[in-house]
Amino acid sequence: MAEQRKSFHSELDEIRDEIVQLGALVSEFIPRGTEVLLTNDMKGALALIEADDQLDALTLRIEEQCYNVLALQQPMASDLRSIVTAVWLTGELERSGDLMVNVAKAARRIYGATLDPKLKGLIERMSEEASRLVKLSLDAYVERNASLGAAIDDIDDALDAIHGDYIEAIFESHATHDLGLQAAVQLALVGRYYERIGDHAVNIGQRVQYMVTGWLPEQTGAARLKARASFELPADLDPPGGDADAT
Amino acid sequence: MPFVLGMSGGATALIAAAAAVLASCLSWIVALKITQRRKRSRIYDTSLRLGLEQPEDDGGDNIDLLMMAIERSVRAMRTESVEAAAVNSRLQEAMDSLPQAVLVFDDSASVVGHNTAAEAFIAARHSDALIGAAVAELVADALVGQSSARTLELFGPPRRTVVVTTNPLESGSGSGAVAIIEDITERRRLEAVRTDFVANISHELKTPVGAISLLAETLLAEDDPAVAERLANRILSEAIRVGHTIEDLLELSQIEVDEPVEFGIVDIGDLAAEAADRIRPAAEQAGITIQVAGSSTALSVRGDRRQLLSAISNLLDNAVKYSDQGSTVDVFATAENSEVLVAIVDRGIGIPVRDIERVFERFYRVDQARSRQTGGTGLGLAIVRHVAVNHRGTVDIESRLGEGSRFTLRFPALESNDPDASEPGVFEPGAFEPDQSSDLQPERLS
Repeated sequence: MAEQRKSFHSELDEIRDEIVQLGALVSEFIPRGTEVLLTNDMKGALALIEADDQLDALTLRIEEQCYNVLALQQPMASDLRSIVTAVWLTGELERSGDLMVNVAKAARRIYGATLDPKLKGLIERMSEEASRLVKLSLDAYVERNASLGAAIDDIDDALDAIHGDYIEAIFESHATHDLGLQAAVQLALVGRYYERIGDHAVNIGQRVQYMVTGWLPEQTGAARLKARASFELPADLDPPGGDADAT
Repeated sequence: MPFVLGMSGGATALIAAAAAVLASCLSWIVALKITQRRKRSRIYDTSLRLGLEQPEDDGGDNIDLLMMAIERSVRAMRTESVEAAAVNSRLQEAMDSLPQAVLVFDDSASVVGHNTAAEAFIAARHSDALIGAAVAELVADALVGQSSARTLELFGPPRRTVVVTTNPLESGSGSGAVAIIEDITERRRLEAVRTDFVANISHELKTPVGAISLLAETLLAEDDPAVAERLANRILSEAIRVGHTIEDLLELSQIEVDEPVEFGIVDIGDLAAEAADRIRPAAEQAGITIQVAGSSTALSVRGDRRQLLSAISNLLDNAVKYSDQGSTVDVFATAENSEVLVAIVDRGIGIPVRDIERVFERFYRVDQARSRQTGGTGLGLAIVRHVAVNHRGTVDIESRLGEGSRFTLRFPALESNDPDASEPGVFEPGAFEPDQSSDLQPERLS
């Protein structure tokens, strides 16, 4: 039995290490994709798009490992939460990687367009911020640091603010410089990709909170709904969901 | 009768008891003998295993001799193991002094030894985790007897190039592997500096010379005086351009010369104001305002006035060149802790993150196309850095594309009661030139 538990825990460690590796790949993708975009590097764009396959393969491997552990070991309590969190994290990280692939594809679409220095500077800023968020969320995961996980939502505000400035700069650049409409739209999407990576990092932070404390932010809302359903429904016999519509 | 009977019963019991005692004594003696024999044979076995000479088993003195031999042997072994531990720790110390990370794996690919540099890659996160993953992959190859190497380009930040090499280990028990992780970022950078320098210097010198000869050739065959004048003017401007490059190269090589420069006392605030005054006409023409914020106290440093002025002027020149019309360039000169610093802040085009490390290289250009328009020689920042190093100072950049740059020069401040102010060879009051002595009472900045 002891032998079996040991192998089970080493399996959990292995999954954690692979998540760290997946996260490292994603946080490498961010500066890499940004450089592709800022230097019009088409060779780099292709390499990045191809490197995404590596990310996908690792994601699949981790997921399968998680399912195996779930099926064969039937973990409970915090072990179960660790596995469920790992499955969630693979999704969030894989999606973040895909967003950087989208940046590389956008770089191809706007090939030849000249970006003014202000736009480039803001892209660099968003990229640094997004990469920092991903790294912080992974730190929270490895250290099982629920408070850091919870803080990422607020840390993400900086990225959102830069994103706002960036959109304004696109309008300005479109009006006063030679930024064509098509390139402007692509660049706006690029901004959105970075901003989304930040959101994925926030999700990771929340999942880490769940892993450590067993509590999801959504549970507060779910508990409210349940409370309303049990106290108010029998009284005025509202149809289910009617109460939610009213609030 | 009952008594007799009683007597005889008592005697029988006595005899039986005596017999029992005797029997148990006998069996005890036999057991003792057997134990002793066993012990003896174990001692003989041990001595055999230790490789000691085997005396005959006489059940007496020889055993004592053997015991002494065993004790000697154990003592020797203890000394040996202490020595082996010392050798081991010496080896570990030697491994720890290596800049490369070294990891030793056993046949199940678990780490059995590593040096200090390798600690970063055990249970690593972020980029280091990718290096760890590459090591694990290559070690699997090494365990089946295959040496391999892989170069990893990591975007970090910081950006790094790392080479992972693995080799199988065959000696000792079972198979094993060693992994070596080497950071070759600096080597790569130096290679790039070297190749780019050769390419750039030939470009900077050959382009104007080529243009001059082409223009001169055209001029020879030209009759129209208006065209001839235009061609001559072009020749002149190209000549001036190549002249500037050569001047800067000479200045740079002069600064680089190892000969100790006679340093005087220089007021940095004063110099900053002077440099700003020099460039102001050109800046105003381009619609750029220069603001100087000085300090109310003297900002004295020990240094070469001409070199320091050249460094500050170069930074100001760049700030003006890369600013847009209508913007402001700020110059701050202040004292901070035991340092004097000059910061030149512009709101110009800024420097891309990936180029920040390289802008101090000779002839390095962030944007080739733009630098032709602005007409610099590409040597300004190289001069600045050398001046800073010569004065035991530093220069650093904070920059953001589209927002501007801040160049900060820092020098160790000269304290009023500096004990080594009169130290020979570093600072000699006798070596003052007349204009330098006036720096002792520097004018305040407006």
